[in-house]
Amino acid sequence: MPLDAMSDISDEALLVLFANGDRRAARALTLRLTPRVLNHAHRLLGNAAEAEDVAQEAMLRLWKIAPDWRQGEALVTTWLYRVVANLCTDRLRRVRPVTLEAAAEPVDQSAGPVARLQGAERTNALQRALARLPDRQRQAIVLRHIDELGNPQIAEIMGIGVEAVESLLARGKRALSADLIDRREELGFEDDERS
Amino acid sequence: MTKDHDDIRTLDDVFRAARDAPMEPSPELLARVLADAEAVGAALRPVRNEAGPPRADRLRDVFRALGGWPAMTGLAAATVAGIWIGLSPPAGLQAGLSAPDAAYIVDLAPGAVVDPAWEAL
Repeated sequence: MPLDAMSDISDEALLVLFANGDRRAARALTLRLTPRVLNHAHRLLGNAAEAEDVAQEAMLRLWKIAPDWRQGEALVTTWLYRVVANLCTDRLRRVRPVTLEAAAEPVDQSAGPVARLQGAERTNALQRALARLPDRQRQAIVLRHIDELGNPQIAEIMGIGVEAVESLLARGKRALSADLIDRREELGFEDDERS
Repeated sequence: MTKDHDDIRTLDDVFRAARDAPMEPSPELLARVLADAEAVGAALRPVRNEAGPPRADRLRDVFRALGGWPAMTGLAAATVAGIWIGLSPPAGLQAGLSAPDAAYIVDLAPGAVVDPAWEAL
């Protein structure tokens, strides 16, 4: 089966195929899930190199769980987000210097130079503001507004109720607003409104 | 526009900027992930190919395929009944089986004549 034909196959079915020895399933899952895992870890940690380590470790755990995967119990992505969150929490608990400025920041290559600068600056500002949030608020905000998951799935990932998710999101957004609004002009939002 | 609306718009713009600029996984990272998959997959394959399921597992599979305990009780009852009938058949059954039954041949087309084609040659 060509790789393109696997785009319609669910994550779970691919995982079963991998457990049965299908190498193409491993490749399809790698290309599909590694970017999501990597970006989620990057938003939680604020460090690209550490995010890569977490992404690799999370995917390794996925390969290892494949033979014992219990179908129909949880989405593969839900399980992966949970693993990434645990790995990131472990790393954040360790004492480490803040290296946000040293991290390679993503840049939107499709935008023009000015827009690209503003886009990158906005992303940096968000990353710095996220780093100042409590862990659980940061996780909820990233899952909802960056990964665009629904509140029920976020609740399942975080092991809490939907109302608790809504509360975390509300408090997180208030804290982010307070952090970002004062820098609105610096981030180029005034220019957006005039244009 | 109210301050709240401005705040929401600013946040939404920041989130959109972050979504529009995802961090792309490097080829090296993808290669490492695939290498891990290959190593784990290779460790899985010999177990599945060489050993196969243990005998107890195969018997359990047959047991499940037949329908489990409810089906087994029915099968056991049918087996005992079959042996019992074989050893000491009931009188009515014995008479029915041993009587010299007449065989009847019924000609459904009395006027029909068999005329094989090769006889005309």
